[in-house]
Amino acid sequence: MNIALLLSIILLLISPHYSQTENLDFNSPANIRLFADHLYCEKDYLRAILEYDRLLEMQMNDTLLYKTGLSYSYMYDYPSAAQRFDLIPPSSPFINQSRIEWLKAKFLFGDYPKFKLAYVNQFVGENNKYQSEGQKLFNFSYLFTDEPLPSKEEFLSPFEINEKEKVSSFYDWKVDPPYKSSTVAGIMSAIIPGSGKVYVGEVSDGIVAFLVTGIFVFLAYDNFQAGHTTRAWIFTGAAALFYGGNIYGSVAAAQVHNAKITFEFNESLNIYLKKNNYYSPAYDFCK
Amino acid sequence: MIRRIKILTLLFPLFPLSIYSQTDWVKWEKTNFDYRKSSEYRQRDYSYDNDTTAAQYVVKTTANAYWYFVSDLDGDNCPFRPSCSAFFVESSKQTNIFQGTLMFFDRFTRDINIYKRHKHYPHIKDGYLYDPVSLYTLDESKINYIPPSAIIEQQ
Repeated sequence: MNIALLLSIILLLISPHYSQTENLDFNSPANIRLFADHLYCEKDYLRAILEYDRLLEMQMNDTLLYKTGLSYSYMYDYPSAAQRFDLIPPSSPFINQSRIEWLKAKFLFGDYPKFKLAYVNQFVGENNKYQSEGQKLFNFSYLFTDEPLPSKEEFLSPFEINEKEKVSSFYDWKVDPPYKSSTVAGIMSAIIPGSGKVYVGEVSDGIVAFLVTGIFVFLAYDNFQAGHTTRAWIFTGAAALFYGGNIYGSVAAAQVHNAKITFEFNESLNIYLKKNNYYSPAYDFCK
Repeated sequence: MIRRIKILTLLFPLFPLSIYSQTDWVKWEKTNFDYRKSSEYRQRDYSYDNDTTAAQYVVKTTANAYWYFVSDLDGDNCPFRPSCSAFFVESSKQTNIFQGTLMFFDRFTRDINIYKRHKHYPHIKDGYLYDPVSLYTLDESKINYIPPSAIIEQQ
């Protein structure tokens, strides 16, 4: 009885060592690839790149290069993404896609003069779908900089009919942005306190400025009338400071308003471009 | 005997478990955790270390007097960060005493306006409204517009 029990205990203790029946090689290329693809589809791009790089060290593969480029792009590391897309050989079936992704990476990096140069060197002179998509990005880059715009017709030429209306509104905005003049705001507030703030859209700030300045002016006037000179001068000083502060504030508010308009314009451009995937082909390697 | 073996059988897996369960080797001990929110109000800098001009001394003395005699007793009531007094010191430092004074009075007017505050300014993580000096120096290159929907991590 005791021996049987002892044997069963020994068996129980030994059995975990043999529970692993399948002898998996986790470092085989096929398994690294499976793991890397899993990481890529889980959007764990940094670790996916590490695994893909292990495979690329063993053997060059354009699909893996392309996926590492996309991974860097998703991680907002655009210089590394461009570098990867640059490595894809011309014989690869991914060459056209990688070129537009390369251009997209250059665009998203935000160095527009270099992006334009890259487009001119790599895409101009071709006549295919990717050249046309590249030109759309090229034209959009004008909207992010202060460079002189081409004519509207020229600007809209690469875009499809259904895109033209929206892109045309971006163009019009760039030509005539709804900025407010800081000079006008300042002059208006000098004439009627607070009106400059109302002009730049800060209505409640304008009303408050008018009331505060008005109250101190009234107090100063009333105290002068009553012969309380000291108090009257104190209120006069306060009124003058609020009045001056309001003129200054109206000028500053116009500048902030303009910065806000530019910010919102760039945001709407980015949203539009993101929606169109920056005119690069959308791939789903995880289907 | 069987009973002993049974106990031993049950206890045996516990030993390796206890060995491998300990993942960190730093002794656990009591920590003095401070649940109070960190606040500029509690960390006021009364020193004159960064003030180099006479105008800056005047501004800092005014702010110090206000902090010491009024604000520290009255409490942290300014909804903005930097607070209006800190804004005055900072704006005078970044521009000059005259421009700083005008900036302060403009800020004070905006502070009085209780409408649309929360829709107009971004928030700092601890709930205050973020309204930095750099927006109002009239130097357009310094303006870094932050939308009201943004949450600022640090001041």
